[in-house]
Amino acid sequence: MQADINYIDNPEIFRVNQLPAHSDHAFYGSMEEMREGKNSLLQSLNGTWSFHYSANAKERPADFYKADHYTSDFEEMQVPCHIEMAGYDKIHYINTMYPWEGHLFRRPAYSLNDSGKMEGSFSQADYNPVGSYLKKFDLEDGLIGKRICICFEGAEQAMYVWLNGEFVGYAEDSFTPSEFDLTPYIKEKGNVLAVEVHKRSTAAFLEDQDFFRFFGIFRNVTLYAKPDIHVEDMWARPELKDDYRTGCLSLDIRFSSLVKPGDVVITLKDDKGSICLEKRLPITEEIHFRSKNLDNIILWEHQKPYLYLLTIEVFDEHGRLIEVVPYKTGFRKIEIKDKVILLNGKRLILNGVNRHEWSAERGRCITLKEMNEDMKIFRKNHINAVRTCHYPDQIPWYSLCDENGIYMMAETNLESHGSWQKMGAVEPSWNIPGSIKEWKAAVIDRARTNFETFKNHVSILFWSLGNESYAGDNIEAMNRFFKAADESRLVHYEGVYHNRAYEAVISDVESRMYATPGEIIEYFENQPLKPFLLCEYMHDMGNSLGGMKSYARLLDKYEGYHGGFIWDYIDQAIYVTDEVTGEKVLRYGGDFDDKPSDYEFSGNGIVFADRTEKPAMQEVKYYYGLYQ
Amino acid sequence: MGYINDALRIVYGDCTLGVHGRDFDYLFSYQHGGLESLVIDEREWLYRVPKPAFWRATTDNDRGNGFPLRSGMWMGADMFISCTGIEIIVDGTKIEMPTAPLNNRYSEGETAKKIQIIFTYQTITVPSARVNVSYEVTPDGSIKTDVHYFGNDKLPELPLFGLRFVMPTAALGYRYEGLSGETYPDRMCGAGDGTYEIEGLPVTKYLVPQDCNVHMETNWLEVYRNKTHNNSRKDNNKFGIKFLSLGKKFAFSCIPYTALELESATHQEELPAARRTVVTILGAVRGVGGINSWGADVEPAYHINAGEDISYSFLISRILTDTDS
Repeated sequence: MQADINYIDNPEIFRVNQLPAHSDHAFYGSMEEMREGKNSLLQSLNGTWSFHYSANAKERPADFYKADHYTSDFEEMQVPCHIEMAGYDKIHYINTMYPWEGHLFRRPAYSLNDSGKMEGSFSQADYNPVGSYLKKFDLEDGLIGKRICICFEGAEQAMYVWLNGEFVGYAEDSFTPSEFDLTPYIKEKGNVLAVEVHKRSTAAFLEDQDFFRFFGIFRNVTLYAKPDIHVEDMWARPELKDDYRTGCLSLDIRFSSLVKPGDVVITLKDDKGSICLEKRLPITEEIHFRSKNLDNIILWEHQKPYLYLLTIEVFDEHGRLIEVVPYKTGFRKIEIKDKVILLNGKRLILNGVNRHEWSAERGRCITLKEMNEDMKIFRKNHINAVRTCHYPDQIPWYSLCDENGIYMMAETNLESHGSWQKMGAVEPSWNIPGSIKEWKAAVIDRARTNFETFKNHVSILFWSLGNESYAGDNIEAMNRFFKAADESRLVHYEGVYHNRAYEAVISDVESRMYATPGEIIEYFENQPLKPFLLCEYMHDMGNSLGGMKSYARLLDKYEGYHGGFIWDYIDQAIYVTDEVTGEKVLRYGGDFDDKPSDYEFSGNGIVFADRTEKPAMQEVKYYYGLYQ
Repeated sequence: MGYINDALRIVYGDCTLGVHGRDFDYLFSYQHGGLESLVIDEREWLYRVPKPAFWRATTDNDRGNGFPLRSGMWMGADMFISCTGIEIIVDGTKIEMPTAPLNNRYSEGETAKKIQIIFTYQTITVPSARVNVSYEVTPDGSIKTDVHYFGNDKLPELPLFGLRFVMPTAALGYRYEGLSGETYPDRMCGAGDGTYEIEGLPVTKYLVPQDCNVHMETNWLEVYRNKTHNNSRKDNNKFGIKFLSLGKKFAFSCIPYTALELESATHQEELPAARRTVVTILGAVRGVGGINSWGADVEPAYHINAGEDISYSFLISRILTDTDS
C-alpha cells in the first residue's frame, strides 16, 4: 500500500492502518519486572532523530522514507519536541480564529453547498509546513522475535509512517495515542523509521483550541512487543450496589494469542494486599467476567481516593506465566437523581480547574515532573476536579488523578470555535462538524479513542464531547456513542447552549461558560431540566480573580448547582532570552511576530507559567476548602 | 536648638512652611502644592510631593470590559493635577496665607502646639473634582493626614482613590497588619489576618504588568529603607516610617512603580529598574472581577462611584529602631 498525500485534504480519512484504540494498561513479561517497574517489552524511541523542515508539502522530500541517503542534508531534532520550539516555522498563539486567518482563504470540505471536496486545500497550500523525521534503530533484546507495535502518544497534526521503506499507516487526532503494527516490516538491526508530520490537515478544523499552535511529535514514541498471549484491551468496571457498601467487578478482556492459551487469573487486592477476589478462567478471545458480590467496599472519593489493585495474569497451556497486567481501580458511583449529580450517593461539588498541559520551557511537551508539581498544587489548594481542556492529556495524568482523588472531566480532542463564532458573534454559516455526514466519522473516532484509551480510570466522572464546537447531528452522534459505550458515566457538552435544538439529545448536564451568578439563578428559577455546572468560570487572566463569593453562595442555594472549573490552571507563556538584556523572560501571543494573535489572552492561569501560584490562589484555596 | 514645652518650631518661609521638632523637619511647599520634605532623623522620605492617586494600571479585566474607555480621564488626572488652594491653621486658628510680605511679621522664634496645612487639588477631569489633603503636625512629629475626595456625579467610576507617596530610594521591605497576600475588595475572604513582613518590593509578575500588590483592610504599614540620596550620609542603617489607620482601615500598595509606569509596560522586562518606593495609601479600591475578561464588569458592590465623597485618615509617624537612642 502506498501513502497518499491527499489524505490530509480528506475529512473522511483520518486513520489508515492504525490499530484500534485500546485501554492504557501497562503489561509485563514477568512478575519480577512488574515488581521492579522495569519493562523489557518496551523500547523508547525518544531522543535525537534526523529531521528535515519544508514550508509545504510540495517542497517536502517526498521519498525520504525509501532509504537513508537524505540524512546528509537532514538536521537533528529531539523527540518529543514541538518543531517551532526547536527553531523552525513560527511560534503562534491564537484563540478562536483559525491559524491561517487573513493569510489563506479556507472553507472545510463539504461545509458549504458548493464547497465539495476542497482537494488540495492542505496538500497544495503554499504554507503548510512538513516535518520529515528519520530514526534508525536496532531492536533491544527483549523485543526480538515478538510482535512489534509502535505507539506515538501525540503528534500534531497529521502523520504518515513508514518502516524500512514500507508504508505503515496514517493518523490524525493529535492528542491520543496512534499505534501501528510493525511486525511485517521490522528487522533486528538497522531499522529506518520515517515519519512525515504535516502542520495542518482537515484535522485543523477540529483542533482549533485556544493555545499555541504547534506541530510535530510532541509526546513519547515507544516500541512495544506483545507477549505471545497479550491482553489487547481490558475494561474493569467496579460496580456499586445501592447500599454503597456492596460491589462487584465486571471485567471484559480481549486477547490475542500466537500460542495455545491456558488460563487467566484475575485478582483484586485491597491497599493492604489482602485478596478480595481471585478467579481463574480459561482464556478465550474475549472474556466477560462478573464477580460475586464483594462486601465492605471502601469507596473512592476526593478525600480518600482508595484504590484496589487488579491483576491479570496470563498463562499458556503449560501453565507458564506469559503476561501480567496490573491496574489500580476504585469503586464509586456517579449518577443523577432528581436533577442532582450524586457521587457515592452524595451531592457532587466540583472545585475544579481547566488544565492545559504546559511548560514555559517546552510548551505542551510536559514531563512527569510537571504533572507531579501540578498534583501537589491541586492537593494543597483543595482543587478536586480537572477538565482536560480541550484534548486528552498524557496517560500518566489520568493515573495521578486516580491516585489523588481528582474528579476528571475527560474531554475529547475537538474544538471548532472559529467555524461558528466570529468576532464574538454566533455565526454558523459554515460550521464543522455540524451535521455534515463527511465529518461524522472523524469526530466519532475521536470520541471512541478517548473512551477506549481511558475507560478504566476511576477518576473520570464525565466524558466531554469537546469544547466550543456548536451543536449538530455529529455531536449528537458522539453523545450517543458515549451513552452506548459507557452507561456508568455522565456525558458533558457545553455547546448546546448555543443551539438549543439539541438540548434534549446532547449532554446530561446543563453546562455553561462564564455565566454570571444572576444567570445561574435565572436558570434554577425557571424549571431547570438538568443539573448545572460551569465548565469554565472565574476567568483568571492577569489579576482578575474576584467575586468567587457570589458563585460559592449558589452552592448553598441550589442543590443542582455543582460548581465548576476555573479558567484556567496555568498561564501559557514561553521562556525566551530577551534580545536587549539577555535575561530569560516570559513571552506570550504576538511576541513572536505572530499575527493575527490574541496576545496576552494566552495567560489566564491561577499559576504563572513557571508554576508559582498567583496571589489569587489563597482565595481559591479558601472557597474550594469551604465546600468539599 | 532646644525644644521647650514640646512645641513645634515653625518657619514662615517665603515659599515653604517649615515645621520642625527634636528629630524631624517637614517642609510644606507652596510652589509644589504639598508636603515636599519629610525628614526624620535627617533622612528624607519624599522624592516629590505626595499627590492624590486616581488611577491603577488597568487589569486584564478592566481592559476587557472597556473600563479604561469609560474612565480613562482619571489617568490624566492621576498624572497631572494642580494645587488650587492652601490653608494653614495654627493652634486651631486659621491664619492668613503667610507669604511675603505678610510673613515679614514673623520671627525666628515662632512655635506652635499644632499646625494644620490643607492643600486643595482640582482634577483636570471634565467636569473637575476637588480633593483636600490635610496634614496636621503635632510636636511628637506625627502627621495626621486626612484625605477627602468631593464626589461629582458627572464623573465616571474611579479605579481607586488614594494618596501616593514616592520615596527617593527602594525600600528594604515593609511590614503591615492586615490581610495576607494580594487582596482586593472582591478577593479577600481567603486572606488571613495577621502581621506580615514583606522582603523587598515585590511586583506580581502578571504577563502584562498591571495593578498588583494591593493589601486591603490594613491597620498599619511600616516601610523600611537603608539608603538615602544625601551625599553626607555614609551609613546603611535601617530606618522606617509608619502609616497608621485612623477610624476605618486603609488599603495600600507598596511597589517600586507608579500606576503609569506599570500601565506603559507590556512585559515585566520593560519595567524600569526598581529605584524608588511608591506607597499609595488607598481610601477606595475597585474590585478585580473575573466573571470573564471580555466584557463582564466587576460586581456592582465593588465599583467606585465618583459621585460619592471618599474620606479617610491615617497617621504618619517615625518608627523607633535599634539604631535610635
